[in-house]
Amino acid sequence: MNELMTDARERLVARARREGLETVGYGVVDSPLGPLWIAVGPKGVLAIHYGSEPAAADLARIVRSYGPGVLPDARRADPVARELDQYFAGKRKSFDVAVDLSTLTEFQRRILTATAQVGFGEVSSYGKVAATAGRKKASRAAGQALGSNPIPIVVPCHRILASDGSLGGYAGGLEAKRRLLTLERGGAPAGGWIRRGRDD
Amino acid sequence: MTAIATFGELLERHEREIFAYALRLTADRDDADDVYQETFLAAFRGWPPPRRGQERAWLYRIATNKVIDRARRAKRLVRMDDLRLAAPERDGVSLADLASAVKVLPEGQRAAFVLRKLQGLEYAEVARALACSEEAARSRVAEAMKKVKEAMR
Repeated sequence: MNELMTDARERLVARARREGLETVGYGVVDSPLGPLWIAVGPKGVLAIHYGSEPAAADLARIVRSYGPGVLPDARRADPVARELDQYFAGKRKSFDVAVDLSTLTEFQRRILTATAQVGFGEVSSYGKVAATAGRKKASRAAGQALGSNPIPIVVPCHRILASDGSLGGYAGGLEAKRRLLTLERGGAPAGGWIRRGRDD
Repeated sequence: MTAIATFGELLERHEREIFAYALRLTADRDDADDVYQETFLAAFRGWPPPRRGQERAWLYRIATNKVIDRARRAKRLVRMDDLRLAAPERDGVSLADLASAVKVLPEGQRAAFVLRKLQGLEYAEVARALACSEEAARSRVAEAMKKVKEAMR
């Protein structure tokens, strides 16, 4: 039954895609930080969510912009999953997949665009990102915008720290943020690094 | 349960039972596959579901109509020989016996019987799925039960 179901669903989704009924495809991939729910629309990645289920806020935002045609379609998420794999293996320092920020507010777009300029292995602060975005005094709002960054890792909000150098916050949890920063400092060997103890 | 906002949610929530239902009614993997696909494509094209919270009955109604359309087109009775593919064993009843008993039921009674006794729907849901009154659903199931019991005696 399971196999029958999987085959049947693949054919169904392929037909929906051909008929233009599918606007956004999603898939769940395993990562060293746990499962990630990835949604890709016609203009690029719309969401990378920590967990195997979508966040209600992500779904609502996607449906507002692209309608209800949001379907499980691993093929759409594959290119993102591949780049994430390479990144986690230490073989990729920047992402080539397109990101779609059009469903966000203008302020969020500016903050995330400024964040995307912070390169692999570098860090910045909420204040500096706000300044780059042309909103020098909005460091607190910048922090909030980054806290609800719908495309973490690819838009590297983990590289943004509090002005005193402490970690600040992170949607995937501070442990995930710490591990991503460690990976980028070259401190994490490819493969297996998530399995080390919490206090490594 | 939260309202369904996307095709994916509808699919993930109900695809297994709709596939199983199609398999029980058609007793053929390829036919069941077609019914499953046509049902969900029709649901996507007809979006949104008519009333919040009634997506399940809506899907069963579409699926039932697809099965009846196919049977009509093929001008043949739906075969139930392969029911054991889909039906779990219940109460020590031999599935082969059950399959042949269900096979001879008229279409309306068969759908009502399968929805209530094999898919486990409430009578209100059976009624919505078959677009009839709850009373009619009860009497169809009761009639079907009587015939199935007789056939299996």
